[in-house]
Amino acid sequence: MPAVPAPGPPHSPLPLAGAGGAGPLIAGRYAIDPARPLPEAGGGLAAFAVIDHAGGEAALMAVQVPERAAARPLVLAGLPDAEGILRPLAHGPGDAGKWFVICPAPPGRPLWPVARPWTEAEIFALLLRPVAAALEVLGGRGVTHRAIRPDNLFRAAAAAAPVVLGCAWAAPPAMHQPAAFEAPGVAMCLAAGRGEGSAADDVYALGVTALALALGRMPWAGLADDELIRRKLEHGSFAALAGEARLPPGLAELLRAMLAEDPAQRPSVALLLDPDQARGRRAAVRPVRKAQRALLIGALQIWDIRSLAYALARDRAALRLLQDGRADHWLRRALDDGVLASRLEELARRRLADHASDDAAADALLLLRAIAVLDPLAPLCWQGVAVWPDGIGAALAVHGEANERLAALVVAEAPVAFAAMRGEAEPNPAARAAARAQRALLQRRGWSGGAARLCYALNPLLPCRSALVGGVPVARLADVLPALDMLAAGQPRGVTLDGELVAFIAARQEHGMDGVLSEPASPLAALRILAGLQTALRAGRLPALAAALAAAVEPAVPPWHSRARQAAKQRAAAEASATGDLAALLAVLDDAAARRDDTAGLRQAAAAASRIDAALAALDQGAPARSAAARALGQEIAGALALAALAASGVAALLQ
Amino acid sequence: MSAPSAAAPRRGPGLWLFGLGCGALVTLATPVAVLAALLLAPCGVALVLDTAPGRPTARPVLLAGLAGGLHPLLTLWGGGDGIAGSLAAADLPTIAIAWAAQGAAWLAAELAPFAVTLAQFARSRIEAARLRAERAALEQEWGLPPPPG
Repeated sequence: MPAVPAPGPPHSPLPLAGAGGAGPLIAGRYAIDPARPLPEAGGGLAAFAVIDHAGGEAALMAVQVPERAAARPLVLAGLPDAEGILRPLAHGPGDAGKWFVICPAPPGRPLWPVARPWTEAEIFALLLRPVAAALEVLGGRGVTHRAIRPDNLFRAAAAAAPVVLGCAWAAPPAMHQPAAFEAPGVAMCLAAGRGEGSAADDVYALGVTALALALGRMPWAGLADDELIRRKLEHGSFAALAGEARLPPGLAELLRAMLAEDPAQRPSVALLLDPDQARGRRAAVRPVRKAQRALLIGALQIWDIRSLAYALARDRAALRLLQDGRADHWLRRALDDGVLASRLEELARRRLADHASDDAAADALLLLRAIAVLDPLAPLCWQGVAVWPDGIGAALAVHGEANERLAALVVAEAPVAFAAMRGEAEPNPAARAAARAQRALLQRRGWSGGAARLCYALNPLLPCRSALVGGVPVARLADVLPALDMLAAGQPRGVTLDGELVAFIAARQEHGMDGVLSEPASPLAALRILAGLQTALRAGRLPALAAALAAAVEPAVPPWHSRARQAAKQRAAAEASATGDLAALLAVLDDAAARRDDTAGLRQAAAAASRIDAALAALDQGAPARSAAARALGQEIAGALALAALAASGVAALLQ
Repeated sequence: MSAPSAAAPRRGPGLWLFGLGCGALVTLATPVAVLAALLLAPCGVALVLDTAPGRPTARPVLLAGLAGGLHPLLTLWGGGDGIAGSLAAADLPTIAIAWAAQGAAWLAAELAPFAVTLAQFARSRIEAARLRAERAALEQEWGLPPPPG
């Protein structure tokens, strides 16, 4: 494999690609060329050629992250540069808000379709060993591939790695895996809710791939997923997939082991590196225990325990089998499994004793426990949806139609009950704390809670899906303000926040803004949030956003009583808007001390006006009295003058 | 001149004492009384016409008449020339001075209340204008409603 550039920063919205590419550069160097799609390279996702502006010579591709989904954070955190892996180099936004993962382009064509069945030697030399080597590298970093299938494995010229694992980093784990390539307990899950899984899941998918290549065909092609899962449960995966096909005995035994229902029974990746050891592997697979008579659920005939669990998971109406005792009766009589029957009886009794609980949640918990008892390999099943607990986040993001049930699952802390039923450490403080934290996020009131907040919290790389920033890539907290400022420049009176954007901010922020984010929705609350964000992130000037927020907030803020203060505040708001300082704008529009002064001033002005009115009334009403007093005063003055004249005359007479 | 009060003025003992004094003056000092009558004749008219309580117009006229006639009366009182002396003292300049003084006092008694009322009215107008301006400023600044009416 040619050398590839070292991983760069996650992404940089600027500068633009320029000639040869369109849209922004990813990680400052990778330009996507939308005119050069790579149809088979993306492992089921759209892929395009990439131009490396740093001058790298390796052929690169950009794999588009599916809409509503997020790329895999564990993988993108960094994988070693190893043979057989299309190591992710960077990720970031391309055109129109689409997200891409940059990685080397596959060196050759996919393995599928094949011209002829592969021989056992080819299977070992060209598939199992090189893929196992790549999986061991991934395992060393604690990650899985989860997209192993013939059309996502690519031929390579290198002798050490004749096969390369395709890109599996741009979508939730196993999201695009057909049901045939996943064990029944995974295949029945929501596509995005299959979780990270383990190396054993990759071994299973590799086993199915090897089977397809060895046969030169896929005997299960054309079967519906549901039918395929039922067959796997009834007959075991190998039998369901291989059917009557004949394989070399050594390969058949290995594939039977790789397709064991129990992940613990599958061979390790290390074992697959050694063809001799792998050939000698004998499967310790127990045949599926069949009942003497079928349990009928409608037209469906159930012959084994795992199929019963699957029926319960698929059909919520099957709950009545537990409630009326038919399931445990069937287990006791037709399968002679008194222990399992007793455990089901006990669960049903607990549900009856728990009659005060919310019916739907309690019924769902009963089903969850019953399915876990019947099939320890089954995923978490809740009201007709199935997920692995670590896939709840991705399922929330992708499967909007199941959000209500997924939310109910989180509210009921079903993952804790699921872990307990699977015999995991009980109580598991970390799992319980995580479940409670998720529930708290979901039930938090205000903008910053609800399913959207939980979704962003569980999907660290999920870009913001707010319609407000539609078309503008916002994946990091730091992207929010520039994106809003850019939008505000186009619609100066239309920018505020919505629940989706606030949930995104709340999930991504680490700056103690929970108090502000919990406020009821209002334009002023939006300003508080964005001002807090600008301060916390030390973001630059945002004049367009400030002006748009001022325009949105000012009508919602009560007017000042004092006209002079109103004018002064308007001037100050205009100045703050012009400087793009949201904190200053907030200080102007949300000035509690000035608001108190204004109210007190109004009271004082009203009192002064009353005093003036009283004084004017007194002036009007006292006119006659004042006139009389003035007349009397005038007469007194005349009298005084006359008296003074008399006194002067007397003095003059005395002096003569 | 002051308008007579609506109710009939009460004639108190002062009037009788005033009459007794005048009678005693006429009897005991007839020349002085004659001269005084000549000099204070306008005052008598004023006393008759001014029926307001306290005689606010007649009082300054009386005082001014006394001021104008004080010198000839004292001269007559000291000379003792009888009725002839009294008539001699009542020459035209003396009477003119006394009467002019009384006229001036009457004029002052009539004009002073008017002037004071005028000044008072002007002061009220100025005060009201100041208050209205102050209120208008408050209305303008705080958006207060105008006064009722």
